[in-house]
Amino acid sequence: MKIPKKDELLKLQSQYKTDKRIAEAIGVPTYLVTYWRRKKRIEKYSLPKYSEKVIRDLWETYGNDEEAGEEISISKAAFYKWRRKYGILEKPKVLKLAQLELQLPKSGTKVIKGGSQTIAQKILAIKAKKMEADVGEIVEVEPDLVMSHDNAGLVIRQFRQIGKEKVWDPNKIVIPLDHRAPAESEKTAEAHKSIREFVKDQNIKNFYDIKEGVCHEVVVDKGHILPGELALGTDSHTTSYGCVAALSTGIGATEMAAVWATGKIWLKVPDSIKITIKGKRPSGLYAKDIILHIIGKLTSEGASYKSVEFYGETVDSMSLSERFTLCNLSMEMGAKFGLVPFDKTTRKFLNALKKKKYIPVWADENATYENEYEFDVTKLTPQIACPHSVDNVKTVEELNGKRIDQVVLGSCTNGRLDDLEIAARILKGERIHPEVRMLVLPCSKDIFLEAMKKGIIKIFLQAGCVVLNPGCGPCLGAHQGILAKGERCLATTNRNFRGRMGSTESEVYLASPATAAASAIRGEITDPREFAKKIWS
Amino acid sequence: MEKIKGRVWKLKDNVNTDEIYPGKYLPIIDPPEMAKHALEGIDKEFPNKIKKGDIIVAGFNFGCGSSREQAATSLKYAGVACVVAKSFSRIFFRNAINQGLAVVESKEVFDLIKDNEEIIINYKTGEIEIKDKKISFPPLPDFLMSILEEGGLIPHVRKSLGIRS
Repeated sequence: MKIPKKDELLKLQSQYKTDKRIAEAIGVPTYLVTYWRRKKRIEKYSLPKYSEKVIRDLWETYGNDEEAGEEISISKAAFYKWRRKYGILEKPKVLKLAQLELQLPKSGTKVIKGGSQTIAQKILAIKAKKMEADVGEIVEVEPDLVMSHDNAGLVIRQFRQIGKEKVWDPNKIVIPLDHRAPAESEKTAEAHKSIREFVKDQNIKNFYDIKEGVCHEVVVDKGHILPGELALGTDSHTTSYGCVAALSTGIGATEMAAVWATGKIWLKVPDSIKITIKGKRPSGLYAKDIILHIIGKLTSEGASYKSVEFYGETVDSMSLSERFTLCNLSMEMGAKFGLVPFDKTTRKFLNALKKKKYIPVWADENATYENEYEFDVTKLTPQIACPHSVDNVKTVEELNGKRIDQVVLGSCTNGRLDDLEIAARILKGERIHPEVRMLVLPCSKDIFLEAMKKGIIKIFLQAGCVVLNPGCGPCLGAHQGILAKGERCLATTNRNFRGRMGSTESEVYLASPATAAASAIRGEITDPREFAKKIWS
Repeated sequence: MEKIKGRVWKLKDNVNTDEIYPGKYLPIIDPPEMAKHALEGIDKEFPNKIKKGDIIVAGFNFGCGSSREQAATSLKYAGVACVVAKSFSRIFFRNAINQGLAVVESKEVFDLIKDNEEIIINYKTGEIEIKDKKISFPPLPDFLMSILEEGGLIPHVRKSLGIRS
């Protein structure tokens, strides 16, 4: 038997806490662990102490032992014990709403029995400072966050034409540069320069220069958007923020300039659609496959002007990253908003960002939906969107064997760590087809770093991929991987319109990271389930 | 802009923003230069063929895709007086009005007209004249009509903020 070294013992202690549990884990008597610990001068494990103030604050914030406990990583029962210790037994004065200056709609923010408002109606009512918002009504609202990327250059130009000196609220403006980063042309360089000068001049602190990552990822991952909030962005895929149960949508640059000047925008309260996804996902099937399938069924205008709410056990079990993919691609069926209601997963994500002040909004029990759809994914197989529209969806099996020239792994749709991990698992120990170019763009600097730590980037490089800096380049055909006449690309991005990635005589297919990796190896469209062993292992 | 009279260009369903204004031209900020690439994804010669005052008549979901307002700006500066479509994508519809480009939603017009024929659109009353037929459409709400009449969102905001030129 090997006696653990000091650092090993400390590691065991952080994992198993007590001497008894450590002993059980490594199969020795407890006294032996205690002896080693004393000899190495390691303190006995003790529960971290929480002051009365910490416990009281958490109780006031959450009013629920489980949620409050989760915040400091202790169980529901443990939180209750702490609470009892300090004699905090009364109900909390739940959520200091007044402090947040909210006028709540009639049905409040929680699920109301017999209430009939959807999430979009409730959030828009709050933002318009009204008791309720009817579908079809036009409300004037102040957004909580506005985002522009490289097109901030155009927004600035329009803002100057309005002639107002200062923006309405520099703290509500976020600008990450990602579409043409680093600048691919002199025109872009000029635009970037004007943006850098403008943010300095206007005191816009939330400016992320070319090093940070894709705009939507940065907004969500840096905690700029919270549940129940309203965001606008000069990018159609702004619908993505629905992954943290926020309302968010795209607008044009001129309209953004007007928002910068006035802090106001008119919005029509939309009808809502309820999409329920149920069933256990088979191996090799990802959020991308599911949402492509839904877009195929509903068509590219199936949710036009509508707010899409996602429900069901499959959605409940999805990670935040997967929910991001759902909300991001809701745009491709015309949606104004796409959102997954707030739950444990959302809360855990925000806890990790140390974001606590927000008020989630849920739909009422009898919320009125214009349409309700249900999808069972139990038997669904990998899906692919064929040229030249996102709703031209087929199964990957149907296209098996179609030759490809380029693979793009990345974008706001599928460039997060889980996406890279899936692809790397398939690519490990393989080489991509000699006649295929595979471009990998991690979605952000943080994801890039994490992928490096995990050895994922090495796998990509060894397999023969070109790893690019975080950004949007190839997705919109701006730079970094433009397609020639007659070339065919399989991408994990979000659009496959004619000419999107270059020549109007090229083709773009959209699929999951797993399908992308499998296809890169074979040099032709390939069902990732052929690599099932790797996906499972 | 009460009456718009013009020659018709017919386009299909789902005309997307990459077809109207390809992504590679996004760094252009000068509207007349944008106009040179209007609808390039469908027909490279379009900017040369179009005459000032022409009208686009299209199918469902016109302008779907990106939020790029250059799609609307380029059409306007290429000379398009109005786009009549069975339906519009949300962002394009807003962008068009904000750029001062007239838009009409009508499901009937498309099947009643051929390329190169002429139609008259009475924007205020919500009527379209096609040969001897008259079709009505719901006019824009007043506040949107005023944005359009003032030449787009920028003049409108300037006016509402009391900024003089």
